[in-house]
Amino acid sequence: MARPMGAVRLKKTSPVTLTVGVALCLFILYFLIGSSTPDFSASRKATAASHPLSPPTSPFRKSTGGGKLKPPPVAHYNLNNVTTTPDPLQNRENILLLTPMARFYPAYWDNLLQLKYPHELITLGFILPKTKEGNEATKELQKRITKTQKYGAEKDRFKSIIILREDIDPPISSQDESERHKMQNQKIRRAAMAKARNSLLFSTLGPATSWILWLDADVIETPPTIIQDLARHDQAIIAPNCFQRFWNAEKKEMDERPYDFNNWQDSPTALDLAKQMGPDDILLEGYAEMATFRTLMAYLSKEDGLLHEELPLDGVGGAALLVKADVHRDGAMFPAFSFYNLIETEGFAKMAKRLGWQPVGLPNYKVYHYNE
Amino acid sequence: MLPFASSGSKVTPRHHASGYSNGYPRGGGKTFDISPHRYQPRGTTPAHRRRNQSLVRIGIVAAVLFLIILFFWSRSGSGGSTALSIFSLGLLSGGADFQLETVRYHDLSNVQGTARGWEREERILVCVPLRDAETHLPMFFAHLKNLTYPHHLIDMAFLVSDSKDNTLGVLTKSMEDIQAWDDDAMHFGEISIIEKDFGQVVNQDVESRHGFAAQAGRRKLMARARNWLLSAALRPYHSWVYWRDVDVETAPFTILEDLMRHNKDVIVPNVWRPLPEWLGGEQPYDLNSWQESDTALLLADTLDEDAVIVEGYAEYATYRPHLAYLRDPYGDPDVEMELDGVGGVSILAKAKVFRYGVHFPAFSFEKHAETEGFGKMARKMDFSVIGLPHYTIWHAYEPSVDDIKHMELAQEQAEKEKAEKAQKMKESFGDTTGQWEKDKTGMQKIAVQEKKKDTAAAAAAAAAVENKAGVQAGEGKT
Repeated sequence: MARPMGAVRLKKTSPVTLTVGVALCLFILYFLIGSSTPDFSASRKATAASHPLSPPTSPFRKSTGGGKLKPPPVAHYNLNNVTTTPDPLQNRENILLLTPMARFYPAYWDNLLQLKYPHELITLGFILPKTKEGNEATKELQKRITKTQKYGAEKDRFKSIIILREDIDPPISSQDESERHKMQNQKIRRAAMAKARNSLLFSTLGPATSWILWLDADVIETPPTIIQDLARHDQAIIAPNCFQRFWNAEKKEMDERPYDFNNWQDSPTALDLAKQMGPDDILLEGYAEMATFRTLMAYLSKEDGLLHEELPLDGVGGAALLVKADVHRDGAMFPAFSFYNLIETEGFAKMAKRLGWQPVGLPNYKVYHYNE
Repeated sequence: MLPFASSGSKVTPRHHASGYSNGYPRGGGKTFDISPHRYQPRGTTPAHRRRNQSLVRIGIVAAVLFLIILFFWSRSGSGGSTALSIFSLGLLSGGADFQLETVRYHDLSNVQGTARGWEREERILVCVPLRDAETHLPMFFAHLKNLTYPHHLIDMAFLVSDSKDNTLGVLTKSMEDIQAWDDDAMHFGEISIIEKDFGQVVNQDVESRHGFAAQAGRRKLMARARNWLLSAALRPYHSWVYWRDVDVETAPFTILEDLMRHNKDVIVPNVWRPLPEWLGGEQPYDLNSWQESDTALLLADTLDEDAVIVEGYAEYATYRPHLAYLRDPYGDPDVEMELDGVGGVSILAKAKVFRYGVHFPAFSFEKHAETEGFGKMARKMDFSVIGLPHYTIWHAYEPSVDDIKHMELAQEQAEKEKAEKAQKMKESFGDTTGQWEKDKTGMQKIAVQEKKKDTAAAAAAAAAVENKAGVQAGEGKT
């Protein structure tokens, strides 16, 4: 202010300063672009909702701050036009991929990224418990999500992602393999699991979804075209076979073994067992104490079998499951109570059958479970 | 500011300022003659300055090029909104230019529902299934506008199915009008109008709707419609779900708060309907809210797996205590009653009930479907299901085919009675009209004759006068 030579100095601005200034401007511009959210294609913008109060299966316009938010518009959804066809790609059908998650496996996310179905048609939904473990998983999940949705290539980014947190009473206790599979813990555990699945499903389904793909957080390897492959069968509910890769010490090589035993066909023994049970008891599969003699899809896989061979099922597992949205919309859910002495995904299969939908399995189409 | 300025004034005395007014020191003072301010004509530019100038030029060209490339690159990429917003420094943003948010995070433990939801800003989803309901909509919207629950916390979801009238048009118009209102307090939250046709075969008129034979199929279809509506409209931010039929005629404006205050998982009011005087003035309407009875449980065991027990029909005598029949018009409206089955006219439920999977079974669930099955399933999952016997809302009265027949008969009867009465009057008192007419003509005749007589007499008199005068004149002449 008080410098007498101020004006003189201004007049004699050095070109070096100017160059530095221009460089600085470029630098700032670079960061302006870098820090702004990624741009989305016109087709994505067209499907975006104009208000945050909207179906979570679509992204929404971020308010630019300033000015009052307008009241939400009157939104029309014609569910007669939501198709579920054997060729979802051609009809640009929306997929809702749902995962109840307790632990985050990087391989799970990598597997999602390699899915060949257009990511702009896939919405991801997660539900995580509000425990210490759940918090950690959420943090890791969010890190990967940010990386993909913000800095990833446009084709990698998913249409929208919903993260739900909920403490389901009783909380999903320890996720340790041994503890988790104890028989007396099973009913409580699976009832909580059923509630988590239902919460996830009915909070996110929305009016635009055609298919729901249930994929467990510990399924780390699926064929990249799994959505197209399963939808091709045009079945209401379709389950691939869930296997696990392991180190076979005898053969000294990597091998695979059946993992999910909830895909089965009923047996007279199991039906008799159910008849003797109280109305609130549940039948479980894969326990020596309770031999059901059901036909398990896990054991029906053949090395030389046809990849697309179908098998009608009476109970399904949740490791990987493609379901037409109509089935869930009609009301088929995962019973958290004994439904015909069945619970969770197996109860779901039964309920779907009561509503007139037949579940089907693919014994030779495999997905792989994490090996702990 | 002040100390800075004063210290500055120490350095440059203000009384000398005039000498520096154009920035150049003038005159003999030369207090701060640091550099020699002499005029030097510029000759050739020094080499270092030339280099600097070319550097500046290169810098400017590079910057322009960079911006152009950036502009076209983002243009070809996706609309160029980023580059544009940079050029306009974000001042021109808005309109077509917006950013997308693709990730949503919700903690469901914040939306469990509490007794004073309006204070905790709990959002409530109002579900309204509709079919050929155009005539009821004005009444429904009148109720909606009057709700005292904060409107911005209410999300509306309508399902229009298999409608042949203009339900959709009227609905859209009414809802858009409300959202365009000047008064912000009137605006509702998210509004979803969902269309889905189920190809219902059953007519929606009162008779076929309530006939016993049609019940099971109809209830299953209704259940499907309700499930489709809920699954498409429930969001992670809802704490409550309120089911409301469009043809409720009278309900308190505070109904949402009144029901919520009880803090139950599922709660229903009593539903009655007004009747015309000749039918007794009023009647219980919703018989689907009941408590389970042993008789009904035994009955259920004898039925086929797909059978559906429906209440209020003589075919299934269940001897269940019904909420509707327990109403005392002067009773305490806060009295609660445990229920096993509920009716669908007006249900308030915590959203978590639906999240955990309770829905309206479109199959026979423990021998029940739709709202009654919903009640049963909620009980199965240990949710509280409560009815308020003395808190009553009123369903619109639509006369049934029987009622209409009755009313027609009554009208016919009335007309017949009227005719009979007239006949009887005629018979007992005889018809005097003819006599009156006769008399009247007789009188008239007499009157005419009299008139004639009068005129004749007058004429005669006049003639007589004339004659008399003539005679007199004659007499005079003679």
